[in-house]
Amino acid sequence: MARERVSQADEWQAWAQRYDIEGGIRTFESGLTVKVFVGALFVGLLMMPGSIYLSYVSGQSGAEAAPWVAVILFTELARRSFTTARRQELYMLLGLTGAAVGSGMQYRNFIWYAYFINTPQAASYEIADKIPEWIVPAGDSVGVLTRSLLHPDWFLPIAIYLAGKLLGTLRFVSGQYILFRLTADLERLPYPMAPIAAQGATALAETTGKEETWRWRVFSIGSMAGLIWGFLYIGVPSLTGVMMSQPIEILKIPWIDFTQSIEGFAPTGVFALRTDFGQMLIGFVMPFPIIMSEFITAIASQFILNPQILYRYEILHQWNPGLDVRGVTLFNNLDFWFSYGMGKSFSLAVVGMAASIPMLFKLRKAQKSAGERGSFATPPNRGDFPIWLMGLMWLVGMAGFVWLIHWMVPNFPLSFLLGYAFLYTPINSYITARTFGVLGRDLFEIPYLHEITFILSRYEEIDIWFAPLPDEDYGRGTQGWRVLELTGTTFTSNLAGTLLIMPILLVSGIVVLHFIWKIAPIPSAQYPFAQMMWPINATNEALWKTSLRDGNSEMLQAIRGDYVSAGFTSSLALYGMLWVFKLPSMWFYGIVGGIGSDPGSMVARLLGAIIGRFYMIKRFGMRRWYMFNPVLAAGFACGVGLIGMGTVAIALVSKAVIVKPF
Amino acid sequence: MEKLASLIIIIGTFLWLFSIFVFEGRWQWQMFSALVLTVGIFTAHFWEELRDTDSPEESGEE
Repeated sequence: MARERVSQADEWQAWAQRYDIEGGIRTFESGLTVKVFVGALFVGLLMMPGSIYLSYVSGQSGAEAAPWVAVILFTELARRSFTTARRQELYMLLGLTGAAVGSGMQYRNFIWYAYFINTPQAASYEIADKIPEWIVPAGDSVGVLTRSLLHPDWFLPIAIYLAGKLLGTLRFVSGQYILFRLTADLERLPYPMAPIAAQGATALAETTGKEETWRWRVFSIGSMAGLIWGFLYIGVPSLTGVMMSQPIEILKIPWIDFTQSIEGFAPTGVFALRTDFGQMLIGFVMPFPIIMSEFITAIASQFILNPQILYRYEILHQWNPGLDVRGVTLFNNLDFWFSYGMGKSFSLAVVGMAASIPMLFKLRKAQKSAGERGSFATPPNRGDFPIWLMGLMWLVGMAGFVWLIHWMVPNFPLSFLLGYAFLYTPINSYITARTFGVLGRDLFEIPYLHEITFILSRYEEIDIWFAPLPDEDYGRGTQGWRVLELTGTTFTSNLAGTLLIMPILLVSGIVVLHFIWKIAPIPSAQYPFAQMMWPINATNEALWKTSLRDGNSEMLQAIRGDYVSAGFTSSLALYGMLWVFKLPSMWFYGIVGGIGSDPGSMVARLLGAIIGRFYMIKRFGMRRWYMFNPVLAAGFACGVGLIGMGTVAIALVSKAVIVKPF
Repeated sequence: MEKLASLIIIIGTFLWLFSIFVFEGRWQWQMFSALVLTVGIFTAHFWEELRDTDSPEESGEE
C-alpha cells in the first residue's frame, strides 16, 4: 500500500494543531495596570532568590513556576474581591513576573567567570591571566576573593553589561517587531505553536468567572505532584544541607552513574540515570516519535555503536576501565563524537535551508495569486508602532553594539563585525521567523560560526572568545508578538510594562545574586549540581578557548575531517532516505538528537511519553489530553518552584542567623 | 521531479556507503556524497513546496 507523502511543514503543523483549542476574532485591550505591575514585581522578586539557588543546586531554576504563582494569587484575589481578571492582564502578569524572576540569572556569567579564572584548567591552558577585565576582575582581586559583586572591582564588567543590555533592548524589540509585521501581517503565516503559550493565561482567567473549569483542577493536580516531587528532590537535600556538612540526597543529584557497571560488556558506553523525574512532563508534551527514536538511538549508540564498532576499530582509543560518566564522555567526545556532532550540526543547517529556501520561492509565487496575503495593514487598536521608528531603533542599537565590540576588541577586523550586524543577522532572523511562522521551531543555524570567523579573520588573541558578536536571531521572538495578538493584548502596553520593570530588575538582580554568592562559594557542597558539572564545563571551556591557538590545541586535534564528514553525510543520508520512504521527518530529529547521547538522561522523558501515549490518551482521549498537557506542566512547575522558594528562604535565613562557635 | 529527487538521494546514500567501506571513510569521497545528497534534498523540498496543491498552511487561515 502506497504511503501518502506529507510535507515537513504539514507534519509539524498537524502535531501543533493538537494543542490549538483557541480561535476567533479578538479585540485588543491594555494588559498593564498598577495591580499587574506591583503583583509581578512582588512575586517575581520574592521567587528570584529561589530560582538562582535552585539552578546551582539542581541545575533547574524553576523560574517557570513564578509567573504561575503570580497569576494564581492574582486570580484568587480577584475572586475574593468579587471581580474578574482579564486575559490580557494575566498574560502581562505572566510575562512581567517571568522577567522579574529571571533577572538574577542574567548576571550568572559573572559568577561563572569568577570561578573559571581561578580553576586549574584555566591556569594549565594559560588563559587565566588573559581573560579580559571587562568580563571579570583579576583572579586575585578583592571582588573575586571575597565573593562580592558589589565591590568596585566589578564596575567595568557590570557597566559593559548594562550598556549591552540597553542596546540589546533597542535591537530586539525593533527587530522582532519588524519581522513579525513581515511574517504575520504581510505573509500571514500561522505560527502554529503560539496558541499553546496563549492558553495558559486563558486557563486561569476563566477561574475568576462564575464557573470553575477543568483547567483549575488540572493545574491543582500538577501543583500537588510538583510539591511532593520538589520536596523529595530539592527540599530534603537543601534543608539537610543547612544543618549538616553533607546534605542527604534521597535521589542522587543530578544522576546515578551506572557507567562502571556496564563497562564489562559495553566498554566506552555510558549510562547515567538522570534523577530529575520532573522531565516526565516534557515527555508528556513532546511528540512521541521524537522521544522514542531519540531513546532507541541513544541505547544503540552506547551499547552497540560505541563498544562493538568504534571501540573495536580503535576509533575510541583513550578509554580506560574505571572512568565515570564524565571521564568516558570527555574521552569519547575528543576521540570521535565531538567531530561527528560537528558534522551533524552542519547537516541540520543544510536541512533547514532546504526546508526554508523553497518557502521563500513559494511566497513569491503565492503573492501573485492571493491579493490579501500582501496586505501590510494592521488590525485596529492593536497598538502598533511606525515601521520607520522601529527601523531607526534597530539601526541605532546595532551601530552602538558594533562600536562597543570594537572598543572591547579593537584589533579584531571591523569588516567581520559589520558583515555580521548588517548582512548575516537580518537574513538569519528572517529565515528563523519564517520557520517559526510555519513550523513553530527553529531550523536554520550555521554551527561553529564564531570559530569559523576567528579562523578566517586570522585574529589570534584570546579576548575575542569572551566578546559578544553581532550575529543575532530575532526570528524566535516573533512568536511572542503573535501570542500577544492571540490574547488580545495591545503591543504598546506590553512594551511599556517591559521598559518600566527593567531598571528595577537590573538593580535587584545583582543585589540578590551577590547575597546568594555570599552564602557559600559556587561551586561547593551547598550547590551539588554546580559542584558536579562546573569542573567539566571549565575543561570544555578551556579546550574551546584555546582551540585555535598555535594550530595544535587538543580541541583542534580532536576535529578530524573524516569524522566530521561522517556526521554530516550520514545525517543527510538519513534525512534523505526518510524522505524517499515517506517516513516522518520527526524521526530524523529524534535519531540525530539521540546518536552518541546518554540514554540514562532520557529515561524520565521516555516514561512520560509512554504513560501519555498508552495510558493518558486512552483514559482522557487525544484532544482532552493535549488540552490538559500545558496546564498540567505549568502546575507541576509551580509546585516545584514553590518548594524551591521555601527551601531557599530557610537556607538564607539560617545562614544569616547562625554564628559559628570559635 | 519526486522520482528524480528520490533517485539522487538513493545514489548519494550508496556513494556514502561506498566511501565508507571501500575508501575507508576518506573525507573527500564522503563530502562528494554529501554534495549529491544535498542536491537531492533541495530538489525534494523544492518539489514539495512548489507542486500545484493547496497546502493547509495556505488554505487554513482564519
